[in-house]
Amino acid sequence: MTFVQVMIMATLALVIFLYGLMVNFQKWGTGVTGYNLEPQAGKKGSAITFLKTWWKQVTAESHHGHGILETLILDIVFQRRILKRSPFRWIMHLFIFGGWMTLFALSGMMFAVEMIEKIGIELPFTPDVFRDWLSIPNYIFGYILLIGVLIAIVRRLFVSEVREASITYDWVLIGVIFIVTISGFLADGIRTGLIWSFGLDPSAAPPAALFHSIFSLFFCIAFIPYSKYIHVIAIPLALLANKGGE
Amino acid sequence: MAKRTPSIDTKNLTAVQLMELDSCVRCGECVKWCPTYAASGGKPGLAPRDKILRWKQFMNKSYGFKAKIFGPQEIPQSELEEFKDDIYGCTTCGVCGTVCEAGINTVELWEALRTNLVKKGIGPYGKLGAIPKMIKQYHNAYMLDQKDRLAWVPADVKIADKADIVYFTGCTAGYKQLSLAFATSRVLNKLGVKFAMLGEDEWCCGSNPIRTGQIGYEQVAHEAARHNVEALKKKGAKKVLFACAGCFRAAKIDWPRLLGQELPFEVVHITQFLADLIKEDKIKWEKSINKTVTYHDPCHLGRHVGVFNAPRFVLSHIPGVKFVEMERSKEFQRCCGAGGGVKAGMGDLAVAIGEARVKDALETNADILSSACPFCKRNLSDGRDSLKAHIDVEDVIELVAEALGLSTT
Ligand code: SF4
Ligand code: SF4
Repeated sequence: MTFVQVMIMATLALVIFLYGLMVNFQKWGTGVTGYNLEPQAGKKGSAITFLKTWWKQVTAESHHGHGILETLILDIVFQRRILKRSPFRWIMHLFIFGGWMTLFALSGMMFAVEMIEKIGIELPFTPDVFRDWLSIPNYIFGYILLIGVLIAIVRRLFVSEVREASITYDWVLIGVIFIVTISGFLADGIRTGLIWSFGLDPSAAPPAALFHSIFSLFFCIAFIPYSKYIHVIAIPLALLANKGGE
Repeated sequence: MAKRTPSIDTKNLTAVQLMELDSCVRCGECVKWCPTYAASGGKPGLAPRDKILRWKQFMNKSYGFKAKIFGPQEIPQSELEEFKDDIYGCTTCGVCGTVCEAGINTVELWEALRTNLVKKGIGPYGKLGAIPKMIKQYHNAYMLDQKDRLAWVPADVKIADKADIVYFTGCTAGYKQLSLAFATSRVLNKLGVKFAMLGEDEWCCGSNPIRTGQIGYEQVAHEAARHNVEALKKKGAKKVLFACAGCFRAAKIDWPRLLGQELPFEVVHITQFLADLIKEDKIKWEKSINKTVTYHDPCHLGRHVGVFNAPRFVLSHIPGVKFVEMERSKEFQRCCGAGGGVKAGMGDLAVAIGEARVKDALETNADILSSACPFCKRNLSDGRDSLKAHIDVEDVIELVAEALGLSTT
């Protein structure tokens, strides 16, 4: 798999993501712009309508005095609404959220270093050296993510009220993260020959890495607007609009 | 072939509310707290999470990705009817919004969905459609004569023609739960507070049409807000007192929104007013009420507006009162079951919720279950009677009157 091919896949995933996001914005934009209004006759949903309405609500005065910064830090990053309801679910979600975002950022950095090298700009280290530097944080956050995902799976399987209320829509979300996490560990394990290699030949490393990359790109980026993953965009936007909620 | 049109539309649903549908992660927290879901014995359709999922699916069928490519998918009328029934099986208590992990403003969403369905000709539920018509014609929901607005006023109560302070009685206290009106007016007299009333110029506050999605019915809610504000201005009101949580919420939140401007007077609940007088040491109690009292927060006073402490402050200052909290209190309180048109539209469900709330109170071993709204008093009393439980249901203002040596009859 060449770098160029990965680039093409990444671009494709991004285009699918952006298109999906636009479709969602347009769907939301079929709504009205304020209290007790009706949409203009014949007007289609537009992303601009959505963004304008959202911004108007974000900048409106909060009736409970919560500011945007407070919402950003305490509600979106720290997720205090989940903590207030269930410390256990909060840990689970924070592990998934924190692990996920950090791994995403680390992969982005790796990708950037490879790209810089490809276009001929000299860096004081090679991509391989950089990959080695990232391996420890990758492992740490990979395990954090794995623990979070395992808790989520165990809850859905063994807590009856959660199991009974689960629908495919919920399972897809967890299933995809689980596959991404496991495939990441496997790809790295086969490459390094350490744990998670399961005795597989290092020659299997490139296809394993390829599977992990493509799966991640398509299911964790492109798939967001078409699935329950949309909540990663909608919840922060809703929290900002509602100044942290009631 | 003509292109199919979506089975639903987005009237009254803001772009942000449509986004909120997609922010639900189905955590189920709202389901654990919803009083109507619990009182129905767990009817799946009443779960807030389920309502969000269904409208989200309707939206996707009508305006989502597939609809964009292949055209909107038809939603059977029976599904919309069923959804309507479930969206009205909600007291608009708001606890689902308080506990929602995604911060969804659920009460606004339920009300917008109701309004949307009414405009579509699917809502409202059952006989609720008659209420705005009655309000339009009679200016109160009980079809009683406006001239009798002050018929309850006893000879000993003095009402000024004009005053800085105006007591807005509300239809329920003024026509039905008279003991609250007696108590409020006598307490104000006793404390030397000069107050006026609107009399036949007091119109229904508009709460019912707003909560039940009928805000658009011949401008009845707008007219109510406009008329009452004008009448209050004419009386010289600087401060308007409410002893009904539903009217208080309507005046505090709905009137300014309907009129598009701040009100020219202060909107104050009677418990807030009394708490201030206690702090200023202006209340001289005359009697001791040697009872254990618990307090039920009316949704429209507590969660909707944020008045939690004033009623507790008043109760705990009444001599002899031993104040105890129920397990579910303040922002996590369980609704009495009367709001959102449930009492008027689904009487049995309302009583079942009332029973659950009375059981909460019985667990505290209180002698008196108090509240600060005539509507709560009515439904909690119905719940108590249906349980044949031994607990008194009394409004905070009635207890205050009693402790001041005043009669409430
Ligand atoms: S507002 Fe109250 S009654 Fe209505 S769905 Fe939410 S929790 Fe249930
Ligand atoms: S609490 Fe909020 S996010 Fe959770 S299921 Fe209910 S509506 Fe959805």
